[in-house]
Amino acid sequence: MAGLRYKLQLHRHLGRTCVVKRRFRCDSPSMLLIRLTRGMAMAAVLLAGLSCTGSNEVDFNRDIRPILNERCVACHGGIRRQGDLNLLFRAEALLPGKSGKAAIVPFDAGASELMQRVSHVSTDERMPQENDPLTDKEVRLLGQWIDDGAPWDPHWAYVAPQNPEIPAVSDPSWPRKPLDTFILARIDEEGLTPSMQADCPTMLRRVSLDLVGLPPAAEHVLAACTNPDTVDYEAFVDNLLASPQFGERWASMWLDLARYADSKGYEKDIPRTIWRYRDWVIRAFNADMPFDQFTIEQLAGDLLPTPTEEQLVATAFHRNTMTNTEGGTDDEEFRVAAVIDRVNTTWEVWQGTSFGCVQCHGHPYDPFRHEDYYQFFAFFNNTEDWDQDNEMPTMPHFEDADREAGEALLAEIRELEDELRAAAAEPDVTAARRVWEDQLDDPKVVGQVPGRSQNEVRRIVAIPVEERDIGQEAFLNAIYAEITPDPRISDLRKVRGEKQQALAALEPVLTPIMRELPARRQRSTYVFERGSFLLKGDAVTAGVPAALPEMPPETPRNRLGLAQWLVSMDNPLTARVMVNRFWEQLFGAGIVESLEDFGTQGEPPSHPELLDHLAITFMHEYNWSMKAIIKDIVTSATYRQSSAISRDLLERDPRNRLLARGPRFRLSAEQIRDQALAVSGLLSDRMYGPSVKPPQPDGLWQNPYDNTRWETSTDDDRYRRGLYTYWRRTVPYPSMATFDSPSREFCVSRRVRTNTPLQALVSLNDPVFVEAAQALARRMVDEATDPDPDAQLTTGYELALAHSPTVNELASLRALYDKALDHYGASPDDAYAISGGYHSAELAATTVAANAILNLDAFVMKQ
Amino acid sequence: MHACHNYTSLTSRRDFLARLGLGLGGAALSTLLNPLDPRIDGTLGIPHHVARARRVIYLFQSGGPSQFELFDYKPVVNAMHGEELPDSVRRGQRLTGMTGFQNSLPLARSHFAFQQHGDSGAWVSELMPHTARIADELCFIKSMHTEAINHDPAITFFQTGSQIAGRPSFGSWLSYGLGADSENLPAFCVLITKNKGGQPLYSRLWGNGFLPSLHQGVQFRSGKDPVLFLNNPEGISRTSRRKMLDRLRELHHLQQDHAVEARIAQYEMAYRMQTSVPEVMEFSDEPDHIFDLYGNDARNPGTFAANCLLSRRLVERGVRFVQLYHQGWDHHGGLPAGIRQQCQETDQASAALVLDLKQRGLLDDTLVIWGGEFGRTNYCQGRLTDADYGRDHHPRCFSLWMAGGGVRAGMSYGETDEFGYNIVRDPVHVHDFQATLLHLLGIDHERLTFKHQGRRYRLTDVHGHVVPDVLA
Repeated sequence: MAGLRYKLQLHRHLGRTCVVKRRFRCDSPSMLLIRLTRGMAMAAVLLAGLSCTGSNEVDFNRDIRPILNERCVACHGGIRRQGDLNLLFRAEALLPGKSGKAAIVPFDAGASELMQRVSHVSTDERMPQENDPLTDKEVRLLGQWIDDGAPWDPHWAYVAPQNPEIPAVSDPSWPRKPLDTFILARIDEEGLTPSMQADCPTMLRRVSLDLVGLPPAAEHVLAACTNPDTVDYEAFVDNLLASPQFGERWASMWLDLARYADSKGYEKDIPRTIWRYRDWVIRAFNADMPFDQFTIEQLAGDLLPTPTEEQLVATAFHRNTMTNTEGGTDDEEFRVAAVIDRVNTTWEVWQGTSFGCVQCHGHPYDPFRHEDYYQFFAFFNNTEDWDQDNEMPTMPHFEDADREAGEALLAEIRELEDELRAAAAEPDVTAARRVWEDQLDDPKVVGQVPGRSQNEVRRIVAIPVEERDIGQEAFLNAIYAEITPDPRISDLRKVRGEKQQALAALEPVLTPIMRELPARRQRSTYVFERGSFLLKGDAVTAGVPAALPEMPPETPRNRLGLAQWLVSMDNPLTARVMVNRFWEQLFGAGIVESLEDFGTQGEPPSHPELLDHLAITFMHEYNWSMKAIIKDIVTSATYRQSSAISRDLLERDPRNRLLARGPRFRLSAEQIRDQALAVSGLLSDRMYGPSVKPPQPDGLWQNPYDNTRWETSTDDDRYRRGLYTYWRRTVPYPSMATFDSPSREFCVSRRVRTNTPLQALVSLNDPVFVEAAQALARRMVDEATDPDPDAQLTTGYELALAHSPTVNELASLRALYDKALDHYGASPDDAYAISGGYHSAELAATTVAANAILNLDAFVMKQ
Repeated sequence: MHACHNYTSLTSRRDFLARLGLGLGGAALSTLLNPLDPRIDGTLGIPHHVARARRVIYLFQSGGPSQFELFDYKPVVNAMHGEELPDSVRRGQRLTGMTGFQNSLPLARSHFAFQQHGDSGAWVSELMPHTARIADELCFIKSMHTEAINHDPAITFFQTGSQIAGRPSFGSWLSYGLGADSENLPAFCVLITKNKGGQPLYSRLWGNGFLPSLHQGVQFRSGKDPVLFLNNPEGISRTSRRKMLDRLRELHHLQQDHAVEARIAQYEMAYRMQTSVPEVMEFSDEPDHIFDLYGNDARNPGTFAANCLLSRRLVERGVRFVQLYHQGWDHHGGLPAGIRQQCQETDQASAALVLDLKQRGLLDDTLVIWGGEFGRTNYCQGRLTDADYGRDHHPRCFSLWMAGGGVRAGMSYGETDEFGYNIVRDPVHVHDFQATLLHLLGIDHERLTFKHQGRRYRLTDVHGHVVPDVLA
């Protein structure tokens, strides 16, 4: 049982000191094997091993919480509190319910109403009502737990990670890194052995795809691997980490979380200019920006003292929310929708918690209250953006030559805005506004208000003046300043208009950013009853849920303080959630498989101590260096195992949760495209800039609301890496969507890999892939050492897979080539077409072979 | 959730594998693409109860067809033409930003005459003569209501059960729950009338949301590449492709990998689709009387009529769910001319589809649905003249019809008030409607779930009641 001891910090509500608990198997694997059907047996044993443990003492998380979650909290939890009973929080569960009796009386099961009710003889009285009764064992466990004092241990994920002991292992020479010991200890327990180290070419291809998203140069691999012992793997890894393509590959992961796209979403889905944020992410990964800084700049770069332009662009993270430009929509409704998305996304990305439930009611299973949601909402409720078509506020970026003039104009415009508002706040103008407010029933009067602001104006005007908050008055003031005929103000508007025109003439790139409202215009935040923005409940102020550590008193109660709280060493979730993401990217499944949910309903970690070890190393040893923690993993013995699998291992551990072999899974949508372009020599290495439009089938972009067309990029931009492809949310690029890339309308933690015939159609027939086959064929002819077809086919295979074909594989390719050559010799038109415009039956036949190579399972898989 | 209990609740191997991320790079999906049985198993295995419908053809009328000109006959509105909508009816309810500040909300009469039809006496306007003729086959719901007032949230709500993007569409839920009956065609096919303006349609509406993407709808397009990338590139014949795939299979076997059978099967199904898709889209084997039934438009690929005929051919070949879209019903102005045109495009073929399914014995277990995402206001948007008017969005009541597949024929369900503004009897919420459709397909809407972000999601969210009165 070495390595299975761990300390559990007890819930602070109980205030007890730490105790040591022990975990045991609940059943022997052999028993389970007998009981279960063959294919499922190992999986079940694994699941059992993960959380189904037994001990003499009742353990709340292991024995009790599952009963409460499964059988009780649907009626007595975060959504419904029937009989005034809530079983999510100990303090509440001990209070007398509607009946006057307490459900739980610690140390006294006999006096606990809960025990009476679960074992009541009358089916009318017995809980759970209208459901099967609890089993005798469950009743016994509950009773014993209450007699033990009803200790209420927190869920593991809400307790800060503890540095685990390094476990003893069977073969101390196997681990290369401390992390390997946790893997090996578990493999030892299962009576398995790790796989051999992967061979040299496989290893170099794997780590190259993982770190930079591209295959290694075949010639380099073939040369290096002639003598594998001399390969300096660590130096190879360091080179990849230093390559600019590293940032491009890892940005793909982050952009799914950031829901980055080149359009605004919703019905009209108008194009949006926000690519400078994408470039910021790439640069941040390449510069190895520490994850704490990476977090703070994206969530609150604008609140840093004298933020740089780059730090402001970073805040576009939360400007990737959708903007609804459909006619007749209510801007406040969709501003609120964007804020809700920011709240949910922040929780999913940094805390691995699905917070969305709490929008409408208390969390059904986890210790988050309805008010917690709106306290958190308050952090994000005071930015200037407001579902406007122009995406204000934006960060202008000028060409170098225009920078000075542009910034001067910006300063003048800001000054004029201040003057405008000040002028509109003069008593006589305010008095005129009051008169105007009373005339808003007149369509001519209200018609001057921008259409999408009309609802909000109407809502505010309906509130008596003395009951309006300062933000509401400021809002009316700002609207009125734009329409009043008062000459002092209209003159200011005129001057501002001229300056704005001059600014627009410089054609700055305008990136949407976050900007906090000035104090006089701050909005109040209310609990929304049932989650509806039309049903405002109690007012709340910004704060974090009580179930997690408090914000340090010195941190500001704004987005900056929030970001600092997320990356404080006390936060139990951030580092775990992040290292788990890296692990998933490299091994295909997270240590916690549900990347997006570390709560009590998520999957338990397969290797809890490993997760804590990585989280602590990431924070303390590497000071949040993402490159360092990634390097740790890819230089481990675990990662470097061969992914070849015996039938026995396949049956015992079909999903490789034990990691007794290396990772093997299909490449991502971006990698599939990039790899085909890379091995065929077409790939452009141009970085950054506006998104590009590689070829896609005609007629996909049919949007009646804008006249944007998919104008296929002509130069090298046809061959840029997938992450630069224009991402329109409602019309995703088809080959990417077919290979499971998300629409980016909302945050996605993990892409579910599927295997569909449509994917085969893409890699066989999509003109992009056909063009890649043609280019690869030309390379095969050009780069083969010998004009013999066998040499060309060998070259093609090597270019694609970075190792040589076997004799049988070559024979197979040759047979394909020969048959094709016969055909194209007799059909020159076909040869001309498939070779991409050459009168050569040989090149045509080589193209067919190249098309086959680009469809090999080994090619589309990382292995 | 206890992991041990969790295991026992996994209803099928496929569900288990699909949920857990397919760590073997697709090998886990060999049940999908097992050459011996290429049909997809549904996650349910067997339905929750006896299914009355085995497949669905959903004729979605995008934009919000006006119930006042089609099925909801309102003589009071006609009589009060031009008079103001009484406040006692509107009761301060939310309007869109398009008419919210109109100073007058005059009632607008239907430009078109109504009559009762069939033994059932259903009211249908003169715009829909073919639909009127099959009134006794149809079940009209006059009391639909929804929560959304703008197109995007409303259509997303109808098709995914949530106004916010990200949930699986109805067809994806069916594919996930019931699987596919065809080894050559996708379980869930999408057809869109070509060259229509109006609200854009987006792949989210037939998207898989958080379900694995094999459950997403596959769009069939008129033209030379009916499914994206279906055609071999120029210079590769079908024979050449076959030879290439044979060698590819040989190479895959040489790879000596247990997972490779799934890869081979994936390519084989792609190859079969290259035949089966053009075959189903080629109408030359349809006799003239069929084209007479659907109307001459059916000879023109990509029209609504051709798509109706195509959807019959698809369900005949085992497709589970065919989702048609016909845009152009968003008549804020110019309603009389606009809706007349829309009806000319859709009336005959919609009725023909029902009759054609019936004559082939398919109507009994095929559910046909006709309807949009919300209704329209009883008052006029913009200028009201004798000849012309428009209507704004109205979520509080609207009409649609269903036929076949266990639905009670010759019925009109629910009722709106005399102003056609509020529902006075038997309201049917969108979630109720979805629950009812699933019920007809043998599915308990509360039990077809998928765990995502720690929560078990379902099409009807936490709502929805089956409407028993519309069941046959």
